[in-house]
Amino acid sequence: MRKNTIAAAALLAAATLTLSACGSSADSGSPVTVVSEQAGSEKAATVLDKPFEKPDLVLTDTHGKKYDLREQTAGKPTLIYFGYTNCPDICPTTMSNIAVAKKQLSKADQDQLRIVFVTTDPERDTPAALGKWLKGIDPQVVGLTGDFATIQAGARTVGISIEPPSKDKNGKTVSMHGTQVIAFSPKTDAGYVLYGEDAVVDDYIKDLPKLIKGENP
Amino acid sequence: MRRLAPAALVLTGALALAGCGGSDDAQADLSVSAAYMPQPVSDTMAAGYLTIANQGGTKDELTSVTSDLGEVTVHETVNATMREVTHFAVPAHGQLVFSSGGNHLMFEKLKRKPKRGDTVSLELHFAESAAVTVKMPVKSATYDPKTGH
Repeated sequence: MRKNTIAAAALLAAATLTLSACGSSADSGSPVTVVSEQAGSEKAATVLDKPFEKPDLVLTDTHGKKYDLREQTAGKPTLIYFGYTNCPDICPTTMSNIAVAKKQLSKADQDQLRIVFVTTDPERDTPAALGKWLKGIDPQVVGLTGDFATIQAGARTVGISIEPPSKDKNGKTVSMHGTQVIAFSPKTDAGYVLYGEDAVVDDYIKDLPKLIKGENP
Repeated sequence: MRRLAPAALVLTGALALAGCGGSDDAQADLSVSAAYMPQPVSDTMAAGYLTIANQGGTKDELTSVTSDLGEVTVHETVNATMREVTHFAVPAHGQLVFSSGGNHLMFEKLKRKPKRGDTVSLELHFAESAAVTVKMPVKSATYDPKTGH
């Protein structure tokens, strides 16, 4: 009986080895796409050595009113993201992550925080379209639209490169979103922390209380 | 009885070998996992993510996706720009991954707005393999597949 057990174990081991050999060949194959594995990604935030000046943007908000970014966010902790509403993937996720994290703050802190969504697709993102979309995320978010060239120039000053929307071969509009969220300090009004697309809601939950005070996360 | 047990195990081992060694001429062997849809913000548009694994020795291609929720197109993201793709390879012994910020399924002209807790049914069509039906759960708008919440 013992002999059999050993044999069985050996066979099991053999079968396991066979299977694992098979599995490893799958690993060494070259899948077209690989999940980006940011090992641990212990910190989502990048604190800049040389902070950005706040973009000098005067645009139109979701009520159709003029919005002077520098003037209206002066001395307030501010998060800015460049994206567009016809974006199913990263734009709503990024905005939802921030909005959900914001709800964990005290009411006073929530009222201090400015979350600004600047469209990269102003032709489709009218004040009304932006307003409708942002209402589904957080009505306190400021949505800005305006002349593309102005938006592009403003984005460039904070290291975000966007191209104007173009049509693909099927006539569908293809827009670009920024790849980073920039946090501006209430103390200096400078953009001092960046978040990439891999930042998740927990990162913002952890960091927002610090960003509110202009501290490094 | 004594002899049967190891025999059965031999057989198991042999089957494992066949499943693996036969990969030269084996068909694509597809399975889908990690499917989810973040609850959309827009009432016309949503994204979906999943992983298609191919344990077979032959590659296959994802050619289209259909759903009763709306029109589905498949996109890759290159330099912060979404690009529609008509064919996505599912390599032999490899996988095709759709994940936030990368490849994604785009649902448009939604017939209803999916809510967290709903399930969206979709069908993946391939060049070689039979269509695969996927029940895609709708998660929160901030769902992180790495932490599962």
